Amino acid sequence: MNALGINLPGLLTQLISFTILVVVLYKFLYGPITSMLDQRAERIKDSLEAADRARQDAASSAEAVEQEMANARQEGQRLIAEAQEAARRAAEQIEERSRQQAEEMIARAESEIGQQRDAAIEELRREFSGMAVMAAERVVERELDASKHQELIDAVLEEGLSSSRN
Amino acid sequence: MGKLFSNPKLLTAAIVVVAVLLISVAGGALGAAFGAGFLGGPIPLIQLPAEYITEIGSYQLMNTFVMFWLAILVLFFLTFLATRNIKEVPGRWQGLFEAFFEAFIKLAESAAGGRRGRMFLPVVTAIFLGVLFSNWLGTLPGVNNIGRIESVEEFFELKLKKEFNKEGHGDLAKKLKKEGFVHFFEEHGTNPDVEHALEVFFSEHGEDGFVIFSGESGVGFINLGRGEQWKVRLNQVVEAPHDLHDQEELEKFIHQVEQPKILPGVEPDEDQDWTAEDVAEGRVGLLVPFFRGASTDLNTTLAIAIFAMASVQFWGFRTLGFAGYAGKFIFNPIKDPIGAFVGLLELIGEFIKVISFTFRLFGNMFAGEILLIAMGFLLPLIGIIPFLGLELFVGVIQAAIFSVLTLIFGSLAIIAHEHGDHDEEHGAEAH
Repeated sequence: MNALGINLPGLLTQLISFTILVVVLYKFLYGPITSMLDQRAERIKDSLEAADRARQDAASSAEAVEQEMANARQEGQRLIAEAQEAARRAAEQIEERSRQQAEEMIARAESEIGQQRDAAIEELRREFSGMAVMAAERVVERELDASKHQELIDAVLEEGLSSSRN
Repeated sequence: MGKLFSNPKLLTAAIVVVAVLLISVAGGALGAAFGAGFLGGPIPLIQLPAEYITEIGSYQLMNTFVMFWLAILVLFFLTFLATRNIKEVPGRWQGLFEAFFEAFIKLAESAAGGRRGRMFLPVVTAIFLGVLFSNWLGTLPGVNNIGRIESVEEFFELKLKKEFNKEGHGDLAKKLKKEGFVHFFEEHGTNPDVEHALEVFFSEHGEDGFVIFSGESGVGFINLGRGEQWKVRLNQVVEAPHDLHDQEELEKFIHQVEQPKILPGVEPDEDQDWTAEDVAEGRVGLLVPFFRGASTDLNTTLAIAIFAMASVQFWGFRTLGFAGYAGKFIFNPIKDPIGAFVGLLELIGEFIKVISFTFRLFGNMFAGEILLIAMGFLLPLIGIIPFLGLELFVGVIQAAIFSVLTLIFGSLAIIAHEHGDHDEEHGAEAH
């Protein structure tokens, strides 16, 4: 043992030194570092779970948004369709009304024209009858037969009117 | 080649490398054989036991203790760096140690199966770090070649003390230590025990080399380089007294040790720069290094091995209970003679493990240290460089082996003993 250099004081010295090393490393290096490692592992696990939850939340809210958007799109389409319908109806109404107005105006114009024509005819008739009477008077001056002549006059007038109308 | 000659930087570097190589070959042991060897120095006395730096009372402070404490202090400092400001987001040192512990946690959990492997880790990681740093600090410059110069008298006294201890004359050894060499011999010179011890001493240690190198007494250092030309046998420096009862003869011997000289007929080589006067005037002596790699001392490796195996036993008892763990080794020899024999072998094996731990680490590191010294002598300046790298590697490997084996032994110790096959045997016998 002596030749190998093993002796009790030396062995005890190294044993005590090494024990101190083990204790100090355990207390101040191994303990803090491993507890920090565990703490970090725990935290990573927690944050992964939180991230998972957040992802799920995000997925479900995205779905809701999608739904909402689909609804909105449908609503919009419905509104557009309605508006188109209303516009079509309004156009139809307007068309109808304007057609009626036009027809009214035409009718009124026609009746007016009719009246004016009738009035003109009446006036002409009156004038022509006067003229005829005058003409007749002239004829009568030569041969007076009132009733026979009246027929004649009417016939003349009729002829005259139809020719004037054309 | 053309590229080498066209690039002045490369060329210069190549010339410098070749020059250093040539100088180191010429200056080393090879050159010394042809009369060169100008980077010379004596080879240090290589011995298994650690050298003591100083004595405090009867306690010898060894150079390996100093290195072990240095390694421990370095580890404490690194601990301080790693954990003084421990944070979730680690700093550099914290990150380094986290990676280290993470690796060991994985290893321990795979070896012991699950989280209970962690109970080994405080000891296993401390073994790794302690062994690693004591190995690595052993490769620092200054280790093994800066030290105290031990005079012939001191050398003599130390060896004699060992001789008295070995012969079982503890009291005489203590007296020798207390009174000092000269007084001891004046008082006890005619003691038959002393005479016998001295005879044994000269027959066993007379041929031991007392390495002589020039240097003032006090702190000295060895230049790496030449081999053993300066080593002189102890009985050529100091002649043993023929008759201790003869007072005159004894006084002559004491005077020789106090004022050692090279005995007539042992003339120093002409190219040596020391003379017999240097020896006589105490300017030369043996270098006792202040620092020596802690794992090159069997006390250190034995202490760590004992700690490791004691921890293994502790883990075994704690996990399996007293009866459970002791039951792995002790069987009823009447019921189960084979089991009893195997258990005995296993019990012896536990002690053998201590020895194998001790000598594996010691052998590797001591051999490495000698390899470095030898390369320093063969090829000074550069020969040591690749071997320094090798030693760093061996240091890690040995630390890993020591710690992982402790881990493995620990995880074997906590496995409950399988009684199954024995029961089956008994069952078969009964049927």
